Amino acid sequence: MKIVINPIYNLFILFLTLSFTSCEKDTPEIVEEQEVITTVTIEFKAADASSQTFKWQMDQANTQTITLKTNTPYEVSIAFLDESDPGNVKVITEEVAEEADEHQIFYEFSDVTVSYTSGESDALDSNNNPVFIHSIWTASSTGTGFARAYLIHEPTTKSSTTRNGFGGETDVAIDIPITIVD
Amino acid sequence: MKRSVFRLLIFVVVITLKGSPILYGQSCNYSLKGNILDLHDQSPIFGALITIEGTTFFSQTDEFGTYNFENLCPGTYLFLIEHPQCDSLKRKITIRQNQVLNFKLEHHINELEEITVSDSKLEQITNSAQEARLNADQILEYSSKSLADALNTLSGVSVLRTGNSIAKPLIHGMYGSRVGIVSNGMRLRDQEWGADHAPNIDLNAFETIQVVKGAAALKYGGDTPGGIIVLAPAKKVLKDSLYGNTVLNMETNGRGGSISSRWVKTFKSGFYYSGQLTAKRFGDFQAPNYNLTNTGLQEGNLSFKLGSNRIVEGWEFNYSRFSNEVGILRAAHIGNIQDLATALASNIPLRVNPFTYDINAPKQQGTHQNIQISYFSTTKNQAKWKWEYSYQINQRKEFDVRRGTRSELAAIDLKLQTHALSGNYTWKKFENWKYEWGINSLLQDNFSNPNTGVKRLIPDHLKIELGSYILGVYKPNNMFSWDWGLRLDGVLIDALKYYDERDWIERGYADEFELFEIQDMGTQLLTNPKFNFLNIAGQTGVVFGFGKGFESNVSYILSQRAPNASELFSDGLHHSLATIEYGNLRLQKETIHKLLLGVSKTSDSFQTTISPYVSKAKNYIFIVPRGLEQTIRGAFPFWQYDATNALFFGIDLNADLDLSPELNFNWSASYTYAQDLEANLPLISIPPFNSTQKIKYTSNSKKWDLEIAHQRVSKQLRFPDNNFKFNTIKMGTIVPETVDISTPPESFNKLDMIFSLYLKRSKILKSYLKVMIKNITNNDYRDYLNRFRYYAAENGRNIQLQLNFIY
Repeated sequence: MKIVINPIYNLFILFLTLSFTSCEKDTPEIVEEQEVITTVTIEFKAADASSQTFKWQMDQANTQTITLKTNTPYEVSIAFLDESDPGNVKVITEEVAEEADEHQIFYEFSDVTVSYTSGESDALDSNNNPVFIHSIWTASSTGTGFARAYLIHEPTTKSSTTRNGFGGETDVAIDIPITIVD
Repeated sequence: MKRSVFRLLIFVVVITLKGSPILYGQSCNYSLKGNILDLHDQSPIFGALITIEGTTFFSQTDEFGTYNFENLCPGTYLFLIEHPQCDSLKRKITIRQNQVLNFKLEHHINELEEITVSDSKLEQITNSAQEARLNADQILEYSSKSLADALNTLSGVSVLRTGNSIAKPLIHGMYGSRVGIVSNGMRLRDQEWGADHAPNIDLNAFETIQVVKGAAALKYGGDTPGGIIVLAPAKKVLKDSLYGNTVLNMETNGRGGSISSRWVKTFKSGFYYSGQLTAKRFGDFQAPNYNLTNTGLQEGNLSFKLGSNRIVEGWEFNYSRFSNEVGILRAAHIGNIQDLATALASNIPLRVNPFTYDINAPKQQGTHQNIQISYFSTTKNQAKWKWEYSYQINQRKEFDVRRGTRSELAAIDLKLQTHALSGNYTWKKFENWKYEWGINSLLQDNFSNPNTGVKRLIPDHLKIELGSYILGVYKPNNMFSWDWGLRLDGVLIDALKYYDERDWIERGYADEFELFEIQDMGTQLLTNPKFNFLNIAGQTGVVFGFGKGFESNVSYILSQRAPNASELFSDGLHHSLATIEYGNLRLQKETIHKLLLGVSKTSDSFQTTISPYVSKAKNYIFIVPRGLEQTIRGAFPFWQYDATNALFFGIDLNADLDLSPELNFNWSASYTYAQDLEANLPLISIPPFNSTQKIKYTSNSKKWDLEIAHQRVSKQLRFPDNNFKFNTIKMGTIVPETVDISTPPESFNKLDMIFSLYLKRSKILKSYLKVMIKNITNNDYRDYLNRFRYYAAENGRNIQLQLNFIY
């Protein structure tokens, strides 16, 4: 028995089917970005309770300058936010504190001399290393420069004095212009 | 007189019974046997089919060209002798006794046919264009490796790597969408656009792999100026048989191995089924001096086929599934350019952990499934119809190192579904002319899962392609042939993509592509980019034989390619390269002219091929650094797809010399030059000059052989300077630092060895053991074509034991 197939006809039908199949795509959902850090705020609080806040926002010119006095301790608190949806701002700092072992905040200074130590209520990792979410800064001489704030993910070591020393991946690297006066 | 009346009677009966020769009451116990031989050299023709018209009787020749019919009734029959590579023969034969009859067939290469394999004879896909191929033994050797690794042994084919396990074939300096992969007669539709997307295919399922350099294989598409890689399964024979092979690999580097097994069951009726399974598992690979953390891989593939091939008519159902999980070098996951600079400054990867089989983020998971049906039928006048339909589902997931438990959640999750339908018709006109006409259509749907929590790299889109081609070959004699082909393709791309409203305006799309805007969602803008492309491709070439083994071919190829989804829409951060990549909606189709020349000389003990080529590209799409973008991770270089005019030329060389019956020497080399003619700069990722020399000793008894191969890859001196500077803080002050991502690594030498020992070589079972040592000297080197050369060296020494059973 031989099955009779008209090749041209069949081909034609198949092509027609393929070409005219309704191929409208559904409107894609907007992706909810889950771990974007859009904003970093750093609050500097002096003993007299006066405070200055530096805010780095994605897609914006960030030009504020922080003025610090020499030999004066400042309570410095850093916060990481996801403001991609203004109606639903997520505070990522909490996540950083919870996963203290996988995170490290590190400050590096250019042309200014500032030292910092862990502050009150700072998060500590399982080996009691400070994460530096809260820190105390003291500037030793006058000058103009900037501080570079890093958030390091999965550092290879938790105690170092240079960015390279920590290893890991840089999640945040922003510069804060600083003027130090007497 | 009496006899002739009888004969006439038989004839009449035969006619009335419409050819049914079974005459009841007669003794039907005659036999007819003989050999089918090549008209020219009297060599036996294997696989020829002899049918008796109007009956169910048929026989197929074995490897000695022998056919056999039993239980024939006396009478006159019309015998039809056919072979895919021969002109058919019809003979009227009267049977009245047991007979021996030999037939001679005009044996020729069937240029337009799909590749078929008959023992050592391979058909060419194209006539005049350059082809290189790997046979079953060579494929087996690379059983535990990737397709690109296997092809790397061919001159003119290099490998673009991302780490150890992700490898893409690079032909004449081109890869990705410019290189097509054809398996079972259909183009593989995986996410081929990505430099770090290895082809989702298991080479163990195939018997031959052929590389056509340039877009000369027009039946598979006109958009692959680099070339086409055609993978073909074993040809089925028409006899009751069970055959296959099993290969087992154990390797020291990666402390893993693979097993792959294949079985084919064929029946005299033409019916066949086959199955194939492959499993691979490796832990972390090792560079000479350290562990390459998180580079393990696992892979599991299966396929099965069911079909019937009766030479004149056949069908096939094919299902295959490929799935793998590949770890990405942990040290290659970086946050910003300062991290990249640190990695570049270090001689060893910045994260080296002890060996493990675990695969953690960053990693890739790929699954590719193909369901395919095909049918062919030969018409009376030797013309042939073939239709194929395939449905391919490709799923690709990429996992990044993320905060919290999100590393478990894919950062890229793509599903690409492709329906493809093709039909072709081949026919002959006058003795020397052959034609093929065909039509291909494709409907492709890409879905990007929004639940990744990461902006889509590639948007949801539909792609529709409709193409038609016509090919012809004129071959008046064995010394000359002329072939040509023309192809026309329409490509429609219909995407739905969210653009950052600010980006949309910044790039000037708001004015130029206002029509694409659909809905304003606040900070995001939903757009519907739609593009149509009409592409032309053409090819023509001639082959001259000068006698004494001299042959020369010239071919010209025109190809046009529509930009792919990545080139148009790409939008995202590459963690391993610390770059942001942007697509470009303004891209036009790319046009490439290529001229290839080949000169070869073949004698009994010597064979050489010299193949230079030149190609000129208009609107050549490539990615270029466009500046630094300030992000919360610091300044990032951003790269954008753009087009330029480019010039390529190069040469592939090959020589093979039998120094004595035991000793064989083989040399191959290739050089590629590629220049961006607008910027007057070299193009990136072009293979440097490389050469491989092999010497092989085969023992007198042919029981064992030993091959030593030396590969030398020069330093690439032609590269674009894509270095950039960033400000780093050193000793309390800011210092500008250059990140050198451009300078290629030094040249290197690599020594490999293969020892093969035949354990058993009988008709039913062939078994051999191979000991392969790669990088014998444990040389610590980096490869310019490995995108992870910034982070780690290539693999160190590997000792591989391979056990083969062919049955």
